[in-house]
Amino acid sequence: MLYQITNLLHQMKKLPVNCPSCESPLVVSQLSCSECETIISGSYSLPVLLQLSKEDQYFIFEFILTSGSLKKMAAKMEKSYPTVRNKLDDILDKINALKTN
Amino acid sequence: MKTLLFKPFEKYSEQKLLITGVLGTIIGTLLTYILKCKFIGVLKMTFVDEISIIKSFLDSVIIVCCLTLFLFLAAKYIYKKTRLIDIITTALIAYIPLYILPIFNINDTIKIATENILKYSSPELANQMPLEDLAPLGIFSLFTILILIWFVALLYNGFKTASNAKGTKTIVIFGIALVIADITSRYLIFHLN
Repeated sequence: MLYQITNLLHQMKKLPVNCPSCESPLVVSQLSCSECETIISGSYSLPVLLQLSKEDQYFIFEFILTSGSLKKMAAKMEKSYPTVRNKLDDILDKINALKTN
Repeated sequence: MKTLLFKPFEKYSEQKLLITGVLGTIIGTLLTYILKCKFIGVLKMTFVDEISIIKSFLDSVIIVCCLTLFLFLAAKYIYKKTRLIDIITTALIAYIPLYILPIFNINDTIKIATENILKYSSPELANQMPLEDLAPLGIFSLFTILILIWFVALLYNGFKTASNAKGTKTIVIFGIALVIADITSRYLIFHLN
């Protein structure tokens, strides 16, 4: 089950988070129901986690799956503990920067 | 291969690095004892007539302790979460390449060549230096430079991984820590050993 979810995350299309023209953050302007075709229009900002890169999202996902254990993460990723801890710190910096913006 | 030679700290666990580092240090120190070499500082090695095995091991302990202490202080200054074990493994692993250098002194080759060259050190005799002594010294010097580069690259990569160091400022702090470790180890080896 966990493997399937991780695999699915890997196969997902990359969500564009910045405008290709002016680099400004993109917002969600339309949501639709695939069953009854109801369409909702508005302006919803993307959640912070979705604004991270696919690789960072995958890391956070794995972090949750290992119950937040960096040691288990390191073993799973075949990396050393400080490498995994540094990666987490870098993601935290990115999240803080996104929250500030 | 590149990871194994230059960035093992990114991949391998602290247990594997510690075991490899300790074994490498023991084997390397035995080599320095057998081939009559003495590390008189982090970045300085000399050839001697006699050395005891205890003194050889004490030299290695002083060097690893000095490197660990000053790199740990520097790493803690940069990044509060730095672990001591990551700096110990960095010091142990990074120093292993330097233990290759004593191998050049099999049969006292480098020591004898140096002594012969020194006989021709005056300006009048300089052009009469024997090639058979210059050649091994030249090869030894070249390898020393390459191995020193390897040592510094390993040490910096380990330091960087342990302290999440980024930017020019951290390179300067690392450089200062290395120089202080070298000076302190020379002082301690000279006075204690």
